[in-house]
Amino acid sequence: MPSRPVSPHLSVYKFKYTLLSSILNRAASLALSVGLIALTYWLLAVADGARAQAQAQVWLATPVMKLFLAGLVLAFCYHLVAGIRHLVWDTGRGLERAAAQRSAWAVGAVSILLTLVLGYCLFRCGHAP
Amino acid sequence: MAEFRLPANSRIVKGITHAAPAGARELRQVRIYRFTPDSGENPRVDTFGLDLASCGPMVLDALIQLKATVDSSLTFRRSCREGICGSCAMNINGVNRLACTTSMKELSGDIKIYPLPHMPVVKDLVPDLTNFYAQYAAVKPWLRTRTPAPPDRERLQSKEEQERIDRPAACILCACCSTACPSYWWNSDRFLGPAALLAAYRWIIDSRDEATGERLDELEDPFRLYRCHTIMNCTDVCPKDLNPARAIAEIKKMMVERQI
Repeated sequence: MPSRPVSPHLSVYKFKYTLLSSILNRAASLALSVGLIALTYWLLAVADGARAQAQAQVWLATPVMKLFLAGLVLAFCYHLVAGIRHLVWDTGRGLERAAAQRSAWAVGAVSILLTLVLGYCLFRCGHAP
Repeated sequence: MAEFRLPANSRIVKGITHAAPAGARELRQVRIYRFTPDSGENPRVDTFGLDLASCGPMVLDALIQLKATVDSSLTFRRSCREGICGSCAMNINGVNRLACTTSMKELSGDIKIYPLPHMPVVKDLVPDLTNFYAQYAAVKPWLRTRTPAPPDRERLQSKEEQERIDRPAACILCACCSTACPSYWWNSDRFLGPAALLAAYRWIIDSRDEATGERLDELEDPFRLYRCHTIMNCTDVCPKDLNPARAIAEIKKMMVERQI
């Protein structure tokens, strides 16, 4: 028997809210794992004394790192809100087609809102006297 | 294992373009996945010009017309043409659905038809469903009892008990849901997939079935049941409006409930 080809999947399947919300949650968790490296670095620097901490502060305050940290905050918020959506699902609720579609967009909107609030708080902290 | 790229023998090459019928009034391009096992060639996507004015309204009508008038080797499964046999499930414009209940009017742009995703292809739009059926059989989709049947009548159910299984029992096994599920794409060798799990649920909640514990035991497995990550593609595509995702969530709930 000749070997059968595998029919196309990712390349043809429509990228709907289902796939989007699922892959974003995975991407957010991956980003958070990478973010742990930055957090570890910062904790090590703090433990290493005032000079190392001051050095870390300078490096973490560069525009590129700030952007990275902002992304981390967004990833954290998205993962948190999407996790709550999964908890609700685990109780057997919100699994209707229309409800799942609504909650997919709601997770996006709430996590962006949360990011703005959290980002503002962090920004204010950075400029506290 | 997740393998995102198609293997070498599965990559799509340039296909043939069939000329549109002369004097077509309402021309629509139809792109169809083609594969012939005897040719030794890779799959390709052929383009057909179709005159909607002289064709029935459904995607299945288009396939039948093209097979009858342009290329008789075009191969696909079909039977009832009214959404109850589940034979003509395929990926149409990126979503799994039944060709017979999909109106061409509700599709925008060219009509793109592929076999159900991530399945071994027998020919053209015909996937090999052996594994899919084996998984259905694996959940033992029949009444399992210990007590002897009443000698003078059937095993009776209340109206409410029947209504609980009414929806899940309406599954036509078209495989739209399972082959829409990325978890199933990457792990179909070990994950049962939404269709088989919906069937499992249908027997678990059947008031006459007496093997609920065994059924749950058989599903208690990191892959068989728990590869479901609630992506929701199954419920999103089901042409019968069933809800495999909720059935799976209910099974997961029962798994927890029986331990506390």
